[in-house]
Amino acid sequence: MTDDGRPEALLAALEAVAARAAVASRLEPPGGEAVLQSVVDAAVVVFAAEAASIAVHEPDSDRLVIAVAAGPQGRAAVGLAFAASTGIAGYVFSTGQPLAVTDVGADPRFDRATAETTGYVPRAILAVPVLDASGSIGVLEVLDGGSEGSNQLRDLDLASVFARQATVAIRAGRVERDTAGLLRSALSTLGAPPSPREQAGATPVPDVDLDAAVSALARQLDDEGGARLWTLADAVARARRASSDQVGLVIEILEALARRSDRPAPRSFRR
Amino acid sequence: MSIDLPAWSEPFAEANRERLRRGGPWGRVERDWAFGEATGRGVRVAIVDSGVERDHPAVGGQLVDSVAVERVGDDWEVVPAQPMDVVGHGTACAGIIHALAPEAEIVSVRVLGPDNRGNGGAFATGLWWAITESGASVANLSLSSRSDAYFGPLHELADEAYFRNVLLVSAANNVSVASYPSLFAAVVSVAAHDLAAPDAWFYNPQPPVEFGAYGLNVDVAWRGGTRMIVTGNSFAAPHIAAYAARIRAAHPGITPFETKAILAGTADNAG
Repeated sequence: MTDDGRPEALLAALEAVAARAAVASRLEPPGGEAVLQSVVDAAVVVFAAEAASIAVHEPDSDRLVIAVAAGPQGRAAVGLAFAASTGIAGYVFSTGQPLAVTDVGADPRFDRATAETTGYVPRAILAVPVLDASGSIGVLEVLDGGSEGSNQLRDLDLASVFARQATVAIRAGRVERDTAGLLRSALSTLGAPPSPREQAGATPVPDVDLDAAVSALARQLDDEGGARLWTLADAVARARRASSDQVGLVIEILEALARRSDRPAPRSFRR
Repeated sequence: MSIDLPAWSEPFAEANRERLRRGGPWGRVERDWAFGEATGRGVRVAIVDSGVERDHPAVGGQLVDSVAVERVGDDWEVVPAQPMDVVGHGTACAGIIHALAPEAEIVSVRVLGPDNRGNGGAFATGLWWAITESGASVANLSLSSRSDAYFGPLHELADEAYFRNVLLVSAANNVSVASYPSLFAAVVSVAAHDLAAPDAWFYNPQPPVEFGAYGLNVDVAWRGGTRMIVTGNSFAAPHIAAYAARIRAAHPGITPFETKAILAGTADNAG
């Protein structure tokens, strides 16, 4: 970037792409969201429920946000956000422990305030965690399932199957969502949007190691202790600059790792 | 329809209970001998959960200590806490234990709260305190960790509890991701059966979930002095914890291994 004119032009182009990507993703929701919607649609039918919803955790605000909902009483809940460690959904999310409430009782203070904002206060709640390898990423709730006398234990197991589908859908949308976020953060780090003073003359691109900055931002996308998708992606991307000797070393390490992974894990058993 | 559910409750369901019938090496152990009229006096039970509401009528004034795990910088610390419950779940467990073992003392170790959401570090720190500092000989764990990063530390803690003569009673988790410590051999792992009977439990000779107890449509205490009807393995574990406390009260000095054997011998399917 020796030409003084090019950084600004590149930045402007990136901004333009980012703006259009943001708008396009609103016009055409990611494929994962459509699957997520179909999961709650199916849950409402199977449980003959008044509503079913999936709340997804937003790490930045540490809130659960209802991403999709279905059923006669469910649609008003979309977009509702609540603290990730309180209420029935918060408990299930925080502990990963499925829970069914058959009768919330006469004075259900647990999350009445939240429920009332949707205009609907349920009597019965079935809540199961949406989990991936790193832990809870959301909560699936079924409200007022209508099957009288149904076995709640069996229902919890069945709801967990729906939750597994939700996991797949959420993970599928992750790369798309994170890429947009990474682009926004990178532009912000580079000083965009430029202030009027910067536009007047001074170069808007600060003197930073761009690749190192993007590398750090990418790694921040991974939760602590979670599945480290972006950390791995970053490492692989940076390794592309390695010499052929270094690449040979990486291959040897990967092959050793693959041999180790092929062994049966002692704790991967099921019943 | 056949779905492979991670259904730890299935062996204890009515249709499958006949298969649990067993003589065992010594036949049935009489409950009169095992715990008889013992009320849990002299035994302290730690509840590692969302806190316990001291003034809830169902707790009967038996809450003797409350601590919470808090984040301090990069570390976790156990600090004195208000005798309150951020969800209601810990109070539910305390109420179940108090109903069955009315003179057992209860210690609350709150591992949920702001910033502690689903964090294996908070859970492990609270569990460590329950084992080493609380004075409890029974600990009820109606929650668990799904973080692979905490497999090792929690395994170590489960062994530490066993060697320090503290019985860990852990709710099994019907989700698709392995959860700890409920799958460890050193703990008493509990799922829910489908009987409406607080005094019925079953021993399953096929680990990892060895006990089935009352967890379907249980009337429990909840936050704010309320009660709710709930279902989940979370509520089965404290039933076994309470009987374990009574066994330990009736036979001071017995070990976790002996307590587990007596629980198996007094189970409804024994003899």
